[in-house]
Amino acid sequence: MSLRRRLLTVVGAFGALALLVLVWAPTVGSTSIDLGRVFDTSIPWADNVDAQIFFVARLPRVMAGALIGATLAAAGVVLQALMRNPLATPFTLGVSAGAALGAMLAIAFRLDVGTLGVSSVPIASFIGSLAAIAIVYGLASSQRRGLSTNVLLLAGVTLNSFFSALILFVQYLSDFAESFRTVRWLMGDLDIGSYGPILAATPFILAAFAVFAVLPRALNLLTMGEDVAAGRGVEVARAQRWAFFSASLATGAAVSLGGPVGFIGIVVPHLVRLMVGSDHRVVLPAATLFGAAFLVLCDLLARTIMAPLEIPVGIITALIGGPFFLWLLVRQS
Amino acid sequence: MTTRRRRLAVLAWLSVLSLAGSAAQSPQRIISLVPALTEMLFTIGAGPQVVAVSSYDEDPPQVKSLPRVGALLDPDVERILSLKPDLVITYASQTDLHAQLTRAAIPMFDYRHGGLAGIVDTLRALGVRTGHAREAEAAAGEIEARLAAIRARTAGAPRPRTLLVFGRERGALRNIYASGGRGFLHDMLVAAGGTNIFAEIDRESVQATTELILARAPEVILEVRSSDILSREEAEREAASWRPLASVPAVRQNRVVVLTGKGLTVPGPRVAEVVARMADALR
Amino acid sequence: MLQADNVTFRYHADTPLVVDGVSLEVRRGDLVGILGPNGSGKTTLLRLLSGTRVPSSGRVLLDGQEMARLGRREIARRMAIVPQETELAFEYTVLEIVLMGRHAHLGLFEVEGPRDYTLARDALAATGTGHLETRAFHTLSGGEKQRVVIAAALAQAADVLLLDEPTASLDLGYQLDVAALLSTLNRERGVTMAISTHDLNLAASICRTLVLIRQGRVIASGPTDEVLTPAHVRALYDVDADVHVHAASGHMTVVPVRRLRP
Repeated sequence: MSLRRRLLTVVGAFGALALLVLVWAPTVGSTSIDLGRVFDTSIPWADNVDAQIFFVARLPRVMAGALIGATLAAAGVVLQALMRNPLATPFTLGVSAGAALGAMLAIAFRLDVGTLGVSSVPIASFIGSLAAIAIVYGLASSQRRGLSTNVLLLAGVTLNSFFSALILFVQYLSDFAESFRTVRWLMGDLDIGSYGPILAATPFILAAFAVFAVLPRALNLLTMGEDVAAGRGVEVARAQRWAFFSASLATGAAVSLGGPVGFIGIVVPHLVRLMVGSDHRVVLPAATLFGAAFLVLCDLLARTIMAPLEIPVGIITALIGGPFFLWLLVRQS
Repeated sequence: MTTRRRRLAVLAWLSVLSLAGSAAQSPQRIISLVPALTEMLFTIGAGPQVVAVSSYDEDPPQVKSLPRVGALLDPDVERILSLKPDLVITYASQTDLHAQLTRAAIPMFDYRHGGLAGIVDTLRALGVRTGHAREAEAAAGEIEARLAAIRARTAGAPRPRTLLVFGRERGALRNIYASGGRGFLHDMLVAAGGTNIFAEIDRESVQATTELILARAPEVILEVRSSDILSREEAEREAASWRPLASVPAVRQNRVVVLTGKGLTVPGPRVAEVVARMADALR
Repeated sequence: MLQADNVTFRYHADTPLVVDGVSLEVRRGDLVGILGPNGSGKTTLLRLLSGTRVPSSGRVLLDGQEMARLGRREIARRMAIVPQETELAFEYTVLEIVLMGRHAHLGLFEVEGPRDYTLARDALAATGTGHLETRAFHTLSGGEKQRVVIAAALAQAADVLLLDEPTASLDLGYQLDVAALLSTLNRERGVTMAISTHDLNLAASICRTLVLIRQGRVIASGPTDEVLTPAHVRALYDVDADVHVHAASGHMTVVPVRRLRP
């Protein structure tokens, strides 16, 4: 099947799935609501509980879930190609550790840096992720030739360890109540409750996806090795830089919005590759769509399984991700 | 009486005296790792006997000059031992510390976190233990009287369905923690004349999502912020964070109250004051 | 066609020269062997010729143009590299790999068209691997893998191929297969090739021109039958060898006899 036709089939199938999930998810939840009332414009806003549950509680949640799921899945694909390693995740290079540290500081020390409809924690978190990106890039590009993926990996792993230690320290210093909320943030939370933070994250994510759109063929070649890619006509250093920055920026924005939701960035790319092969021109759009649907579904489970209590969404993705990897291991051996 | 018998009698009499004396001797060097119980100690007059407190103690002002010996997670055993206490007040869960203090033959008083009634019981038990039973009884009685008065006042009045929030992100409706149907925060709310919208959830804390709050539609939202002191404008700004939940009766009728102040969530001798503040907020 | 003009190269400012003043020329239609022991700098030299490394001094010219001034895509359209081994991080089919060779000929969002597919299949046929089109690359044997990678290089640029130790990791049978393939491609399709190798007999069997490299310097270059002498073998490898045309194979053969203590 030619690439065009394969792409159309795949995007069509995953797109339909994503659309179905996104339309269905806000209508389901721990409280039953009357869809008729939700869209009944004759009822004044302040009286319409059903509409509020739909538009204030659930819809931002589903939108955030779709945005974060799509972003983490796509960033995972790009970083796995860059690092030539199917076990790389969006969190491997330290971006989410930086975001986590920013968030911890804001929660534990009750920082007040909110602006433009976005509260302190997401902003501090995003700044933390930018700092991590700068440090890792600085370390990895200190060699004269382009971007060394080995140094990138080492820098990322080191930063993860170091920032994790700082995070533990911050938790230790904080008040009892605050320390519990810091731990909770690390488990991921899609209950955004407003559209402001989503709108704030979107430009960064869109910019990253604009770069993702031109990378796929270069990514295919990069996975075969830097010299081979260069020999086939890829400007390797430039492609690596674009891949690193776009994937890291997108990850930083996503983690600042909903916390570090794990396993999306590795389970979704793997599953998608099993289904459609390794050509990144097909894998990237498929992973984006599947990632969105996947996280929204995980969040749906998280908010209905133990109603009225909620399981943090990061725990659901971990409960699915862990066994998935065991299965992969068993399958391969 | 022969000299020998007289000597024996004197010896016996002195032994009885010393035994009685040591029984009557209350602890003179008390270390408290539990801030709530430190406050109790000062309330019942045992303040002068306190030689060290935990890292988190803030009230009463006298504790500021006292040495610190760590807290729940990190008690400084060396420091504690070096201060030669004759009573150490610990958390019931600090089993390692208990083992070490037992080895050093130092008496302990265990604190178990409980509901509102537990506070008064602890106050009385502490009084007996430290030889201030009378003052403790008086303080406990006063708390019970005040609580009874509040209960009487609110008896006939309607009990508003209340969301009691003790933690959330500043300026945003995220990571909201509210009191469940268990624990002393819940008990305080009930004593103050309110109904907890999460009364049927048998947990001390509930992470309240926006959907859950919209569904339960509380008539009053009571925020208890004990870790920051907010100025009037800041408190108003924080109360305004709830506006997006427009259908919630508490928001529509402007019954969102942010209580701030140190010691609001300390299960100590000031509970009656806190309950009184809550009762005012609920009216 | 491809020229190195007194190039030198060192990896870092304080490391010794790996390539020390090498000048060579790969003429159109020639099959040049860059021969030398391990560590002689021949792989680095090949990288300089392909443009993936920039010389510390001197120039490399492709069709008279300085490589440093050409973009990677331009170079890739005329010249392709076959590495010693290909390790894939992800699974690709044989056809996908050969089609990837067309990258430099496609616009940013352009997708491979019928012409690209034809060229790819043509290259597969030329390397005798057409029947493996739908197979996953990692399921192939060593020899098949090498031939597929050569096919990808052919699909990319039918003008000049640079091959780094093309038979080093292959079994004897596959060595002969690949050698024969390279020779055929050179003779029948006029593909210009430069091979870096330490295998004397490979060089002897297919290369028409030889450049002998030792410690980053050219010690001799010219037609194979003139350059491949016992004296030169001794200079390169410290080995006493017998060099003659073998009756059965029809080309020069080098038989090592004795190791010389330097």
